[in-house]
Amino acid sequence: MSAPAVLARRAMARVGLYVFVGLVLVFFALPLVWLVTTPFARTPSYRVPAPSFTLHNFRILWDNPYAVRSIGNSLVLAGGTAVLAVVFAGTAAYALSRVRLPGRDAVLYAVLLLSSIVTGTAAMVPIFLMLFQLDLIDNRLALVLVLTGGLLPSAMFILKDFMDTVPRSYEESARVFGASPFQILRHVVAPVVRPGLATIAVWAVVQVWGNFLLPYILLHDPAKQPAAVIMYTFYDEGGQPNFALISTFSLLYSVPVVLCYLVVNRRYGFRFQGGIKG
Amino acid sequence: MAGIGLSGVTKTYPGGVTAVDGLDLTVHDGEFFALLGPSGCGKTTLLRTIAGLEQASAGTVSIGDRDVTRLAPGQRDVAMVFQDYALFPHMTVLDNIAYPLRVKRIPRAARHDRAREVGAGLDLADLMARRPAELSGGQQQRVALARAVVAHPKAFLFDEPLSNLDARLRLSARTFLKRLQRDLGITTVFVTHDQAEALAMADRIAVMDAGRIRQVGTPREVFGRPATSFVAHFIGSTPMNLLDATVTGGRLTLAAGTLPCPADLPDDTRVTVGIRPEYLTYSKDPVEDALAGTVGIVEHLGSSSLVTLETDGAAPVGVVVEEGAEPEPGTRGWAVPRPGRVLLYRAGGGDLLA
Ligand SMILES: Nc1ncnc2c1ncn2[C@@H]1O[C@H](COP(=O)(O)OP(=O)(O)O)[C@@H](O)[C@H]1O
Ligand SMILES: [Mg+2]
Repeated sequence: MSAPAVLARRAMARVGLYVFVGLVLVFFALPLVWLVTTPFARTPSYRVPAPSFTLHNFRILWDNPYAVRSIGNSLVLAGGTAVLAVVFAGTAAYALSRVRLPGRDAVLYAVLLLSSIVTGTAAMVPIFLMLFQLDLIDNRLALVLVLTGGLLPSAMFILKDFMDTVPRSYEESARVFGASPFQILRHVVAPVVRPGLATIAVWAVVQVWGNFLLPYILLHDPAKQPAAVIMYTFYDEGGQPNFALISTFSLLYSVPVVLCYLVVNRRYGFRFQGGIKG
Repeated sequence: MAGIGLSGVTKTYPGGVTAVDGLDLTVHDGEFFALLGPSGCGKTTLLRTIAGLEQASAGTVSIGDRDVTRLAPGQRDVAMVFQDYALFPHMTVLDNIAYPLRVKRIPRAARHDRAREVGAGLDLADLMARRPAELSGGQQQRVALARAVVAHPKAFLFDEPLSNLDARLRLSARTFLKRLQRDLGITTVFVTHDQAEALAMADRIAVMDAGRIRQVGTPREVFGRPATSFVAHFIGSTPMNLLDATVTGGRLTLAAGTLPCPADLPDDTRVTVGIRPEYLTYSKDPVEDALAGTVGIVEHLGSSSLVTLETDGAAPVGVVVEEGAEPEPGTRGWAVPRPGRVLLYRAGGGDLLA
């Protein structure tokens, strides 16, 4: 084959590849485009709208009695769970990382394995029955505790890895100066593993934010339900989706998570200043 | 301020390793005391036992006139500088130095004033806002020292504080550390595996081996009259010659010649003769009471050279020769011990006989 022919074939192959990649990108980008454009469309529907602009859909959203409040509920649930998960998993991981217990790793793995069952679908009925007997249905604190329990094993597992990387001499140094275990945790260990704690916090928020099943089962009062559950009520009597509500609400629903990620990444991003000279 | 007393201190790790074995030691008030020994001999373990980071398996530790054996590290009133310095990476130099005061709940302004004052004394005034990662090794070491000084303890415990510095910096840091300790007058226990460091800095040295103390003494004593052949071998920048010999008729018979015996020992006693290369005089002509050999290797030490005399079959003899007087390799040479510098040890790694 002559040299130009080879070059031409290569060029064709390249063009073909780019077209393919372009199509794949459009395929994946379409939902996002829908998410940002439809809320502002005059006639929102399944389709990505033709260019037009209105804020009328947000008016409809504002007038809905549950929509905005549900975002607040989601924030409370996600924030509460994130705080509890970070505090409990952090202290547990610190202890697990520092105390020599026989069979420690086996315990960790067992807990991790069981956790997928605890908040998984399998345990839904027992959890519901238990909370029902305790008269804790519609209690947000109870839901936060259940959600936290589900996240703890993985969070402990990840944080223990972070804690393991903190040189012991940091803590021993503080101990010799008279710091108590809690002072050491607050002054030294927590700041050093801050990126890990931030990761767990964001992860917990994201998990709770998207969780439908647990709040759906454990919270029956629409005034307490989070956004993920309320979304399913935006249908009119004929079972038709209310696109004005759904599109604006979807946008509102995604903003806090994105913000949370950006803020945390900016403030606590993955930095580690070494104080150990090798 | 206070001395440190150890009596019968033993530390056995859970795995079964006995790192410190029934050790007795007294460090006087205000003394600069070096714990010297090869790697793995238990120096760090002993220091950590004094600090309370390890619990002694047996024996007692006292600081001042207080028995601290059962006290937590924070109640012993000591400050430790770790080998890796253990500066807190997320705190500025100022906050690092002020940390011991923060633990004592001293108000922020007061503790920062004190930290600045101490930091300035250690030449850190311009670095107060930096983080540890932005400092050189020598600066980090000074921050670690400043943090210990701020704590104003009864005793300093230093674990190889100079070992992470490059060779030149280490020399100036030695002088610096020694002056700091003398100015503050705080009892200091200093761990090192570097005999030159211990000789240069310490008021007294304890030479450790396998969890036990082999000799305690001033640098002059430990260098001049090592108590065992282990200490003799370990101390000195050029290793001491340790040569097998037997006593015959008041003289020592070695592979390389015969020497007068400095002690009254029965015939046929087997001994190890110890002579430092610095205490041998080289001669290119045959002389009485000398060790003879063929010049092998000549190593330049700076203002002098270390000449190795090969003796057939037996251990070679090292001699330190003045600059400019080095012999040619392959020629024959003689080494004459200076009077009073020949040491005798019981054969097979034993104690000092004379
Ligand atoms: N935490 C530990 N667990 C078990 N053995 C240890 C521990 N720390 C040190 N050792 C052992 O104790 C001995 C003395 O160690 P160390 O005190 O660190 O010596 P040095 O500081 O003189 O080099 C070594 O044999 C070491 O392997
Ligand atoms: Mg050590």
